[in-house]
This record gives sequence, structure tokens and C-alpha cells, in this order.
Amino acid sequence: MTEPANTQTLQRKKLIIELDDALAKVQDGMTIGIGGFINSSHPMMVVRGLIKRGVKNLTVVGSASSGLEIDLLIAAGCAAKVVAPYVGGEVLAPIGPAFRTAVEKGKVEVFELDEAMFYAALRAAAQRVPFNPWRSGVGTSFPDINPAIKVFKDPINGETLLAIPAINLDIAFLHAAVSDAYGNVQYVGHGYGDRAIYAAADLTFVQVEQIVSNEEIRRDPLKTAIPGADGVIRARFGAHPYSSPGHYIEDQEHIKQYVRAATAWAKENDFAPLKAYLDDFVMGPADHAAYLERVGIRRLLSLNEY
Amino acid sequence: MQTTAVATTKEIMATVLARDLNDGEWVEVGANLPVPRAGVLLAHLLWGANMKVMIAMTKANVFNEPVIEEFQLITDHRATRWAEAYYIHNDLVENMKFRHKGVFFAGALQIDQYGNSNLIGIGKDYKALKFRGPGAIGVCNATVMNSRFHLVVNAHDKRIFVPKCDFVSALGWGSGGADARTKLGLPGGGPRYVVTPLCVMDFEDNTKRMRLKSLHPGVKVDDVVQNTGFELVIPASVPVTEAPTAEQLHVMRTRIDVGGALR
Repeated sequence: MTEPANTQTLQRKKLIIELDDALAKVQDGMTIGIGGFINSSHPMMVVRGLIKRGVKNLTVVGSASSGLEIDLLIAAGCAAKVVAPYVGGEVLAPIGPAFRTAVEKGKVEVFELDEAMFYAALRAAAQRVPFNPWRSGVGTSFPDINPAIKVFKDPINGETLLAIPAINLDIAFLHAAVSDAYGNVQYVGHGYGDRAIYAAADLTFVQVEQIVSNEEIRRDPLKTAIPGADGVIRARFGAHPYSSPGHYIEDQEHIKQYVRAATAWAKENDFAPLKAYLDDFVMGPADHAAYLERVGIRRLLSLNEY
Repeated sequence: MQTTAVATTKEIMATVLARDLNDGEWVEVGANLPVPRAGVLLAHLLWGANMKVMIAMTKANVFNEPVIEEFQLITDHRATRWAEAYYIHNDLVENMKFRHKGVFFAGALQIDQYGNSNLIGIGKDYKALKFRGPGAIGVCNATVMNSRFHLVVNAHDKRIFVPKCDFVSALGWGSGGADARTKLGLPGGGPRYVVTPLCVMDFEDNTKRMRLKSLHPGVKVDDVVQNTGFELVIPASVPVTEAPTAEQLHVMRTRIDVGGALR
């Protein structure tokens, strides 16, 4: 083995990519993870991009408590199956309106599970084993209504447990505060369950409020929650209308606007308001900047934490 | 001190939950659950200095806060300024050892006579639900791993209190009997109280059938019976639910619930 001749020119590869580079990896029918938690930290720039590309038949793995980003993917017809222990917006929408009506009409299948089973499934994928055992859920309806969850006798002590099957993600999409150019991602705050979603994914793309220097990341390496993103995407206000800890609170007025539109579909079978919402905020704007212009700079600048 | 003030039903419900909590216990304060939130904080401030209180996925230090600000959403990052530690969500849900000191509060779409409950949906056929519920969230696991839990609902009617849940997302006492949980290998003390705007209920020791424990002021036994879809165990004499003391009400209104969510 001879030493490479060009050691002087070896460069560490930068992983800053464009939104379209990440979206191009998504194919119809894939299993896609979407990070965040209820009204915070969803990769909305990506979600709007997926809808705009007309991706179909996705198995959408939301966060342990998903918000209306999953509802939006359902409303836009991208999701065939949803893996999420909750889809809603707390007081803003206790149950996601599109989720509710699409499930009731049989248009979307639910992989029924609770938060602990959700993480057991991701952990099994991360560990490359077919399932993780879990105790809670024995004696409930979960194994009856979700045949993928099996009741079994553990071979060590003979106890009755549930086998929660691995859920492997083809791609995870996350939103975080910062990354360096090399895919070292840090959050403001705890980052919800995003680490577990990352660990279960073949590929992880993270949209961030800001790209920072590697030195900035090295000030506190313990804060690096995602040490190996496959690509990072610049996304100022990229979680809008949801909050981005340390940057902005959720835009309740905008979320309520969506909820009204989705509720009209759910309650009155009137899709027109939802179509108008999608035209205005998803299909219409040419890119993320145009979306932010559509929302308006005054609105965006009003979403202060303090 | 407001010695003459009369507690509201929600304040009474919160006080019931508070009185069950002991110093040193671990409790979650969910968002948009004003009654359990107030109950937890009342116990913490008045007799639970060593309680571990989780707010917005943090281990929060609010003991010396003059007024504990309320946040509408569990994702409100501003609540993390009290954090002594973060509960990274997958760690919180995967690490179960500490939960034996935990107490949990759960809501439900349906509850049966053994305290089994349902958040999945309404309908006999899972593939054709009449009403799709929010989902089980973390309730299935938390009702097993914590030392006990309370079911707290903001309405008391026959839609909630049903002979049989269409689906069980959180196990109570199964089909009855004090060994209903242990024979399935489940730790945890199961449901203790069911707290509604009309009354407090608990479970009979041997059968684990739901039993009327106390009636909120002004409520009659028949009000509960008429609004419950199964036969309750009714003791010969049912006391009135103990109202908060003047001090408890004062702390609740001046430090915990300044915004008046319970009034």
C-alpha cells in the first residue's frame, strides 16, 4: 500500500446541502421520520417541500407526540400510514382534524402504539434487532388492534411481554438550532426525542436556524445531539409555524388558520379552505424565502420568546 | 388570608389530587392540565419540598418561585428556565427505574367500572371508528410504571363512564380482582382515584369495582348514578369531598393559579 500522493489536498467534506438535494432522496412509499414535538421543532421547510414535490404513499413516522405537521402531510395526501402515539396540537387542536377524518374514512392507516412502544420500535431499528421487548401494554388492546405487536413469553424468565417490531427509517428529517458544516448538530434545550429518530434512520437530514463554526460546536461537545447528520440545510424560521427553542415561539395565529381549514374538511367535508391554505403557503411560494415573505416579516419578527 | 372564599369545583378536584401526593414523589406536570398541575404544585409548595416536579420535560426548581407562571403548551421553551436537568424524551420514556416513586394523571375518552380507559377511539370496529381519538400518547406506559395513577376527567357522563371500553389503551383493574395487574406481571399500583366534576371515586379492595368515595359540595348520589353507565359501589354513607383549607386556597390563587384557570 502506497501512501496517497495528494495528502496536501485532502479535505474534509462539507455537508451543507440545498433543500432540493435532500428532497431528491425521497421516493414514494418510503418510511420517513419527522422530528420535533407537538407545537415545536418540526422541519417544516422540508415538510412543505415534500408536499410540493407530490410525494405519495409515505409511511410517516412522527415524533412521540406529533403535531399538525403530520396532519398537514395527511391533508396533502402524502401519507398512507402514520406511526405516532399522538397527532394534535394540544389546546390549538386536541386531535389533528385531518388525521381524525382521514383515519375515520379509512384513507390513512395508523400503526397504533404508545410513546414507550414508539421508542422501543426505534431502538430496535437502531440496535439492528427485529424487536425490542416492552412490558407496558400487556393486557391492553394494542396487540389486538396492531397485529405487528406480538405477545410473547420471554425466554429468560418466562414472563409475558410485548415484542415491539423495529421501525427502520429510510430518512429522518429534523429541525435544530445550529450545526457546523460537518453535520454536528446542537439544540437549544433538550431536543425532544430527535436523537432516537436519528438513531433509527439510514439517512438524516437536519435543517438548522444557523450554520456555525466547528470551533463554536467544540465549545461544548456534550451539546452535540446529532453527531452524524448526512446533510444540513440552512433554514432560518424553518420550523414556522411551530416554535424553534431559543429562536422563536409558535405562530398561534397561523396554526389556528390551518386548523380552521382542516376542520372544514373534517366537519363539513369541504376541502376548499384546505386547498386555499395549501395554495397560499405550500404550493404557491417558489421557495422557503417566498414562504417567509408570504407569512410576512412583521409576523415573523413578532414571535419573540422574551 | 381569604378565609371566606369558597373553592370552585376545579380547585376542590386539584386539592383531592394534592392530598394524595407525598413528599419525595416524582410527578409530571403536563401542559393544558390545569387541575393536576395545580394539585401537584400545591402539594409541592405546602408539604412536598423534596418532590421532583417535571415541567416541560425538565426537572424544575419552582419551590421558591413567588408566582409559578403557567404555560399553555408543553413545548413552551420559556418554562425550561427552571430546569435543573433536562429529561431527553426518549430517556424519559425508556428509563423506568425511577418511576416507582412516580404518580401519574391520565384523561380518557371512555372509562369502565374497573378503571380501564381508552384514548384510541370510539366504535366497535377498529378499522371503521366512529370517532378517532388523539392516541395513547404516553399513557399506556405511565399508568403501568408509576406507583399509582389517577384518572381525571372534566365531564361526568355516560359517554365517558361506559360498561365496556371499545378499546383499552391504559389498563386499570382488567376484569376485576386485586390480582388483576400482578397476574399479568405488571408493576405499579394501578388506578387509585377517579376525579370528576361531580365526585371522587376509588376502587373496592377485593373486587376492584369502582366505588363512590366522596361527593363534591351540592352533588347528590343520584346525580352520579344517573350519569354513570355502570353500577357503582355506593357505601352506606358518602362524605362531602373535603374542600381546600384557607391556606391551601390562598396558595393556589396567589402562587399557582394566578391566571384563574380553575376559577
